[in-house]
Amino acid sequence: MSGYPEETTALDGELLRTMRSWRDGGHALHEDEFNELALRVFRYQLRYNEPYRQYCATLSETNRTLPSNWQSIPPVPASAFKDAILTTFDSARAALVFETSGTTRGRSGTHYMETNALYDEALLAGFNRAMLADGAVLRYFNLVPNPLERPGSSLGYMMAKVSARYGDGNTGWYVRAEDVRATEFLRDLGGAMAQGVAVCISGTAFGLVHILDVLGARKMRFVLPAGSRIMETGGLKGRTRVLSRENFYEELARTFGVPRESIVAEYGMTELTSQYYDEPASRAAAQRTKAGPPWLRSMVVDAAGNALPENIVGTLVHFDLANRGSVMAVATEDLAYASGESFVLLGRDADASLRGCSLDAEDLLPI
Amino acid sequence: MRSRRKDLRQIRAKRIVDCISDAAHRWANADFTPRVRATQAVAERTGYSLPVVEYAFDQLFLPLIAETLENSIASEIGSLSALDDFIARPGKPDGHASPIGRVCIISSRTTIGVGLLPALYALCAKCDVTVKDRQDALVGAFFGTLAEEDEAFAHSARAQSWDGARNASRLTGFDVVVAFGTNRALQAIRGTLPADTQFVGFGSRASAGYVTAESLAQAETLEAIAAGAARDLVLFETEGCLSLHVLFLEVSAGLPPSFVPMLARHIELANAEFPIGQRDRSESARVASVRKTAEFRASTGHGAVYSDAACSYVLEWDPPTGEPPPLAPRCLAVIPVCNPQQAASYLRQHHLRLEALACSQRRTDVLEAGSDAGGVRLTRFGELQRPPAGAHHGGRPRIGDFIRWIDREI
Repeated sequence: MSGYPEETTALDGELLRTMRSWRDGGHALHEDEFNELALRVFRYQLRYNEPYRQYCATLSETNRTLPSNWQSIPPVPASAFKDAILTTFDSARAALVFETSGTTRGRSGTHYMETNALYDEALLAGFNRAMLADGAVLRYFNLVPNPLERPGSSLGYMMAKVSARYGDGNTGWYVRAEDVRATEFLRDLGGAMAQGVAVCISGTAFGLVHILDVLGARKMRFVLPAGSRIMETGGLKGRTRVLSRENFYEELARTFGVPRESIVAEYGMTELTSQYYDEPASRAAAQRTKAGPPWLRSMVVDAAGNALPENIVGTLVHFDLANRGSVMAVATEDLAYASGESFVLLGRDADASLRGCSLDAEDLLPI
Repeated sequence: MRSRRKDLRQIRAKRIVDCISDAAHRWANADFTPRVRATQAVAERTGYSLPVVEYAFDQLFLPLIAETLENSIASEIGSLSALDDFIARPGKPDGHASPIGRVCIISSRTTIGVGLLPALYALCAKCDVTVKDRQDALVGAFFGTLAEEDEAFAHSARAQSWDGARNASRLTGFDVVVAFGTNRALQAIRGTLPADTQFVGFGSRASAGYVTAESLAQAETLEAIAAGAARDLVLFETEGCLSLHVLFLEVSAGLPPSFVPMLARHIELANAEFPIGQRDRSESARVASVRKTAEFRASTGHGAVYSDAACSYVLEWDPPTGEPPPLAPRCLAVIPVCNPQQAASYLRQHHLRLEALACSQRRTDVLEAGSDAGGVRLTRFGELQRPPAGAHHGGRPRIGDFIRWIDREI
């Protein structure tokens, strides 16, 4: 692959500059800048990612002409990460290997990253701007898998990086072997409160609901130190009791004594390098909008893959330039509608399951 | 002096069966006004197209004739008369199949009419029957027709709306509760019941098909098998426990055998006969995703995919066996296997408990594998979605759950 190292270094350099420029100065990419960079990444991936090249070759329009804009770049379904090794490099050389959960569809997928530079820079910049606009140094209470225990968890890796960079040095991990360690969590939270240290509780919806259930059973509530915040991620269906997001946030705010606006949803997936967060201006609104960093864009499409206008519900396709070493365009089953440059996420349903004779049997459940 | 309210205990079982048969006969007429109304309502509720709903009603009411009901009851309890009085039973004391009491049938957006059949058998047993359904227009309307046949039904059969959470605590006072739902939902309902209430749950089940190597070698019968399998797939949007969820072909992996494109062609024909209904966005997204995933695999040299421009169906040949079937509307995984044991192993791996197995021929090892996988109906292609009126749904007796045997030993 002559030219690969040079091309890679040049692309990574440009992407890292973009990330740092946004992190430090808030510089966004103009449409033509994003477009040019996206098409460059696409051409690079077409050259060096064999399964992606094969896939694109089966799509008739791509056979004839290369896309002229980022919106026309063919996305792979997120499930493709289960079916092929989607890399521009030899996956044996991967610096980071993350696995999708794969709990409901049987097999897990793998996202290989050639270096950790893009991932680290993307996640830190994204978290910093979305969660730490006030520059707070917090104590991190992570209700996500510890990467020392589950190195394949991208969420765990992310929170380890965030805690190490932005934390007060007393990070706690409260998920072990899939179990939420509620007692340790409550003990340490009490300690932080006694010291008056503001905290960031980060967790999956599943972990947070579990903690809420424990606190509810013990009739316990907190008023966390000023500046504390909560970052939640993941859907509410499938693994936990059924709860609307509205009620979920109400419960979190009431139980931990934090303003509702201090509860922020992160939206990411193992198949992406970068993350979306609730836009600050929408955090007090009933309907929150999500936005990503400048190198991450989304499009809401219909079942045939055509872009939909604002306010029309479809599924999300992501264009993450930081996915330089895999595939930048990833199609999901997540329902959303576009709202300006952002989108409103409507659903991340659990995978399809056998329904038996009753088509929405959850309605029968005595909640 | 006030007259006593007439209930089903005061009339003969034969009369009950005849009333049900007569009412079903009226409902079998597509122009019968209550049916016309119910057809629209059910189509709106389920999103199924009108031809699918009409088909479901025909399948439900046409076979509901007195002879069928009598035979299925007699095959379980010896004689219809046992529901009225003591009957002589060889080698046993005289017995009377007395009504078990109050029966509640709970369903929420069930596949069409699935809650009605147990209700009718419970009525044959002279039970007091309450059907609780979130938004069903069918059961209540049919009960209305029954009441026109005999006023006793008006006092013994009622349909109520069900609002799940709030109603869950109101299940006391029933002798039997029948529920349809996921295993988790059934477990939750069972947990609310008093210990002496009998619970009959119909949980999540799937159906599969198996085409043997011998059948694949017989070109003259393959078209019929493909046509039947296509119908089994598309009816009711692949949502019911009798829908074809996965198809096994006894053939080696590699290029798809000619049967697979033939099946795709027949699915397109079946789509014309039973047009797709109103898919919600999440279903559309799932079907599109199933197709994109299959297309991606095919592009990397694994398997093959058949679909149409509208993405109304997806047929995937040779998907990874580590992945469960798609369980999406009109989506089918076609899996090559060497023998029925391999098919059974796939079903076990994905925790798919069978309701029915369609088989291309009567071959003992295939039928055994089907029954070992939980299957309670072993049938031909094209028949999966047409269970006989007396068939044992979930392997349960039809009337046995609604009677209490009284043995007379003196």
